[in-house]
Amino acid sequence: MPQAPYSDAESLFRAVHTELMRVAYALLGNHADTEDAAQDSFFKLVTAWHRVGGLPTPGEQRAYLVRIVINEALHILRYPHKRWERLGVDADPASWESLDEQVQAKADLRLLWKAIGELPGMRRDVVALRAAGYEYGEIAESLGVKVSTVRSHISYARKQLSRTVARDWERARG
Amino acid sequence: MSRRMPADRHGDLLDWLYERGKRRAAGVPEFDVERTISRAYAARDAGAVNFWSVLSPAERSAFESAARIQVFAPGTALMREGEQADEVMVILDGWAKVCLDEDGRERFITERGPGDLIGERGTVPGNVRSATMIARGTVRALVMTTEDYTAFIADCPGVPDLVKKQTYDRPTGRP
Repeated sequence: MPQAPYSDAESLFRAVHTELMRVAYALLGNHADTEDAAQDSFFKLVTAWHRVGGLPTPGEQRAYLVRIVINEALHILRYPHKRWERLGVDADPASWESLDEQVQAKADLRLLWKAIGELPGMRRDVVALRAAGYEYGEIAESLGVKVSTVRSHISYARKQLSRTVARDWERARG
Repeated sequence: MSRRMPADRHGDLLDWLYERGKRRAAGVPEFDVERTISRAYAARDAGAVNFWSVLSPAERSAFESAARIQVFAPGTALMREGEQADEVMVILDGWAKVCLDEDGRERFITERGPGDLIGERGTVPGNVRSATMIARGTVRALVMTTEDYTAFIADCPGVPDLVKKQTYDRPTGRP
């Protein structure tokens, strides 16, 4: 990793691309949404370059970009619009007992992503990376925080999520 | 770990997502970073939707007096990928499709219609078009040089910051 900060949005994006795709694909589970998230992230990065370009270290710039892609992915997951059918219940269809069950699972998942999206800033991003299959150490490195911080965010998030999601699911089912 | 969402075991939700994310991360398909960058630029070069409607009547007449009206026949290009970008346009009537040449195949990016600003990436000096825009039917547009546009937008309180930011904060390079 170079010591000097990246001087333009394109070189930062190219350097972090593999990680961005891993995060987006792990969260979204399909090619089209992942590509959309990446495209929108690059767009956001260019728009925010006056801020990102001024960050003192490449690590902070990378963390900023990772947080942009998390934000884009969560946006797609929370507001599926036309993408309802692609929401990403990735279980093998044969294992689903009925269509009803699939539809219910999608609705439940959307509420779960909504609850995750509503967690406060850094906690939300820590949880999103965990949901993308990251180990605690990887999350810490990626976001530029301590492992102990990651651990405490996840522990609080578990409690918060189980509370809100249980409530939302019950409400949704009447 | 079950592949099913633990609907009745709320405490395990995050672990369930983690296992799922890990499985997916093990099989991330190939993505072409250069293609992503060109598509993002093309979408941006497609400009601001509803630009015209955010202008005040006074701003519209100021824009009109600095611009000229140009009519594009169906199927002709309003701008072409790779060409020098020295003008911006506001579509008055008609629709144009925005597309990219990807290895000889045309990739449709988006569509622009009445009230939309296009080609606004041209406001960076020395830049070239990142997408081609073709008139679907007859298109009537207000055309303005990028210099005039930059001057116009600089003291235009009606234009949202987002549009202005797109003008000033983009890199000058091209993929």
